[in-house]
Amino acid sequence: MPTIRIPSALRTLTGGASDIDVNAATVREALAVLDERHPGIAAKILDGAGMVKPFIRIYVGPDDIGSLSGLDTNVGERDEIAIIPAIAGGGDA
Amino acid sequence: MTTRATIVGAGGLGGPLALCLGAAGVELTIVDPDVVEVSNLHRQIHFTQSDIGTPKAARLADAVVAAGGSARGFQTRWRAEDAEDISGDADLIVDGCDDPATKFAVADWAIAAGRPYVIAAAIRYGGNIVVGAPGHACYRCLFEEPPLDAGTCSEVGVLGPVVGAIGGVAGALAIGLAAGDRTHAGSIFVFDDLRRSQEPRIVRFAPRPGCSACARAAIPPGEHAIKVAR
Repeated sequence: MPTIRIPSALRTLTGGASDIDVNAATVREALAVLDERHPGIAAKILDGAGMVKPFIRIYVGPDDIGSLSGLDTNVGERDEIAIIPAIAGGGDA
Repeated sequence: MTTRATIVGAGGLGGPLALCLGAAGVELTIVDPDVVEVSNLHRQIHFTQSDIGTPKAARLADAVVAAGGSARGFQTRWRAEDAEDISGDADLIVDGCDDPATKFAVADWAIAAGRPYVIAAAIRYGGNIVVGAPGHACYRCLFEEPPLDAGTCSEVGVLGPVVGAIGGVAGALAIGLAAGDRTHAGSIFVFDDLRRSQEPRIVRFAPRPGCSACARAAIPPGEHAIKVAR
């Protein structure tokens, strides 16, 4: 089943888990399953309208879902869904 | 001819960035509003206990000079309003600060001014580095707006060696840009968890239609090849 790669910044919501397998056919379904298991994480990724927040990108394999079918992009058994957020830390500079 | 660079941030990322660029002969302007605190020392290893309470930018510039480089430090936050005064003579700009709005301002200025740039960030056990250059997809093509609730290192922590590793890679990429290498322009390097893997995921991203920064770019995405051909 597809695997979601959780970025370091969101792992406090997954109990530290970095890779989470989900039974899903699209990115949207995958995020819904993720949120069922780890409530609140979808709100960190999606805005109130259910769109990906403007400081987060989601990739399926090497492809940005923005260049595919967005959240409705299909995912296969071996696909990896990577969530890449803009982060701020500079080592406290 | 001397290459000049502005380093935004003199903390955990700015330290290795400045030291490696300075040692490579790049003339530096270092900008940071903060003073050294005792809680910085575990990850900002370019500072010592005797630096506590003194401006980070000046102390880091001192360290670069002591290593044989050339640098000046300004104790101020880098702002777009002052960019021409502080960075107008820079051939490239490298960000390692911890303020999301400043990171976006640095990238926006670099894109509009036609300068190559590196935006580095680190938090907890990982981080990312965005490499940009005129004529390529830009930072705002990737991330449209600054995050509203991004934690900083002082809030959520960062493993000391993480900033050294990411700062070092960012420095190598900046030296490449300074030498004219555009191999990674329009790419993000993602370091997921350096305790487990030291190999970044490198993603080349495409220009985003409607990107507000590209609309003001000195050289819009896709035109670099034309410029080279001329």
